[in-house]
Amino acid sequence: MLRVSDLHARVEEQEILRGVNLEVKAGEVHAVMGPNGSGKSTLAQVLAGREDYEVTAGSLELDGEDLQEMAPEERAHAGLFLAFQYPVEIPGVGNSYFLKAAVNATRKARGEQELDAMDFLQLLRERAKLVDVDEALLRRPVNEGFSGGEKKRNEILQMAVLEPRLAVLDETDSGLDIDALKTVAAGVNALRNEDRAFVVITHYQRLLNYIVPDHVHVLLDGRIVRSGGSGLAHELEAKGYAGFNGGPAAA
Amino acid sequence: MTTTADTRTTPYLDLFARRGERSGEAESVRTRRREAIERFEAAGFPGRGNEEWRQTNIAPLLRAAVTEASSRAIEGQQAKRFLYPGCDRLVFVNGRFAPECSSAPEEVNAASLADLPAAGRVADVVAEHLGATVDGRASCSADAGVHPFAALNTALFDDGAVVEIPDGAVVERPIQVLWLSSPVEESGSVDRVEFSFPRLLVVAGENSQASIIETFASTGTGTAGYFVCPAGEFICRPGAVLHHTRLQADGKDAFHLGFQHAHLERSALFDSSSLAFGGGLVRNDAVALLDGEGSHCTLDGLYVVAGSQFVDNHMRVEHRQPHTTSHQLYKGVLDDRARSVFNGRIYVHKAAQKTDAKQTNRNLLLSKAALANSNPQLEIFADDVRCTHGSTIGRLDEDALFYLRARGLPRNEAYGMLVYAFARELVEKASFEPLRLRASLNGGPGGGGSR
Repeated sequence: MLRVSDLHARVEEQEILRGVNLEVKAGEVHAVMGPNGSGKSTLAQVLAGREDYEVTAGSLELDGEDLQEMAPEERAHAGLFLAFQYPVEIPGVGNSYFLKAAVNATRKARGEQELDAMDFLQLLRERAKLVDVDEALLRRPVNEGFSGGEKKRNEILQMAVLEPRLAVLDETDSGLDIDALKTVAAGVNALRNEDRAFVVITHYQRLLNYIVPDHVHVLLDGRIVRSGGSGLAHELEAKGYAGFNGGPAAA
Repeated sequence: MTTTADTRTTPYLDLFARRGERSGEAESVRTRRREAIERFEAAGFPGRGNEEWRQTNIAPLLRAAVTEASSRAIEGQQAKRFLYPGCDRLVFVNGRFAPECSSAPEEVNAASLADLPAAGRVADVVAEHLGATVDGRASCSADAGVHPFAALNTALFDDGAVVEIPDGAVVERPIQVLWLSSPVEESGSVDRVEFSFPRLLVVAGENSQASIIETFASTGTGTAGYFVCPAGEFICRPGAVLHHTRLQADGKDAFHLGFQHAHLERSALFDSSSLAFGGGLVRNDAVALLDGEGSHCTLDGLYVVAGSQFVDNHMRVEHRQPHTTSHQLYKGVLDDRARSVFNGRIYVHKAAQKTDAKQTNRNLLLSKAALANSNPQLEIFADDVRCTHGSTIGRLDEDALFYLRARGLPRNEAYGMLVYAFARELVEKASFEPLRLRASLNGGPGGGGSR
């Protein structure tokens, strides 16, 4: 589904990704772990199409389509979803209005019939229940005045409503207490299925106790230096990132 | 200081002389007209040296060949598209009453100023109030000199509306006053600018309640320029509640230099919203005198400008009595090479203890060449008051734009949604016709929306 090959990217003249390779198949959950500054968030932003990041070499493909040729909204229409590390507050735009606009923009781009207010409301309520989000959040402006936990839950709700093929979760666990973390993880698990893939980017192993990945990758200095099964996360937790300096990337 | 032989004032002075005294006009009004033209003649047009006009370049207006707008009949359809459903209405074309397009409100006393009854309530109200305070002479504020355009209006208005709301009346239906300009659109007359001086007097009686909507618009479709110079007076008697919306949607090449003045007595409330979209050179001076204990005024405004439009909002709120409150929220959206000025003066007199005044001006610049000026000015002579002010000038949040796009919203739709979100609270306040305003904010289909 997702194929990242020899990806090099930089921001403001500073090279951050230096040859990332990653292949994700439908139904899989991949964890990308790494310390601060390793390039985790850059990878997420490059996948979503943030213009501040310049891809200098390599390729990005989603279902065989070249992502670099696509605007951020086109990537969303193709089924890519990024759960932001820092969801943006948008005063003046109601949360459910925003979600309806997003759903219908995507449906329109795919040549599908747009949802009317009633159908959308039904979908929204159902998904809010699925990921355990209080309906009161839907009536507030997007993320404005939300607690850290509410913002992250709102990301999961958006994902549930937009039903992406590939969801990239950028440090969705950061700043969450254990209860919020469990809720978010349960939301993700509820959305796992054989057609959908996840890339879970995290600094800590903790989240992976609740979202158990099929594959774990260690990102250091802009390269994946090691890949393995879910046991790799525990190894990291025990040894820290120091033990992985410059080791060769396993295939 | 006096400008000698300023030929640019000649067309206006000539018109005053030519008109002579008007039969049937109250002696008090005649006197105020005479005094106004004298003040205008003495002061002339303001130059760049005039602090109050430093950032307002009126040279293009002064260069134009001006002439009085002629009476013009219009098709009902031309007015209809600017009229709001559910309102009583008074329609004026080039400053003159168009009774065939109007429907007089029943619960209030309303009349055309050019066709006043010889006696009675409306005649008394006009004789007492019309032009009594409008150019700022009654103000104690140090800078309250002559407002040249308000003086011009008092001297030269040909017609206008007077609305008197009786004591204790609660008027359910809003009263819309539509000021239509109908410029000549002949080829070859591009330098000729027709002027009109719409005049409005509203007297809200004790414990009355009403809503007034003023709309400024043009029947023109082309680029014909015109000069509209309105003045409005709002007298709020004790306990009156007066809501006022001022929608300015003049043609893109119009000169619009307006003045409005509210006088609030004890426990009165004046809530005014200004929405400015049209015009090439636009200035609106709004003055509120909180002259009765416990009175409150809200002066809100939204300006949305593009191209080479210039819009200037000059506010002055005077707290003269204790326990008076004022709120001002002005927001601007500027694109292309548009420029704006917000000048907000709050003046708290020594007697006005426990004043609570708040002023906010926020500007959103959509292009590199757009320019917003924001000048808050507080003058406080009482010692137990709360006055806050803030102004911001910023650009569209790129993070928010990316966030919306990453959720699938096309760039132009995301852009429209964010611009609308910025302006939303002010648009929704003018809730009588949100759809039309929304369209003008988003520039067409595919834009954002309120829900």
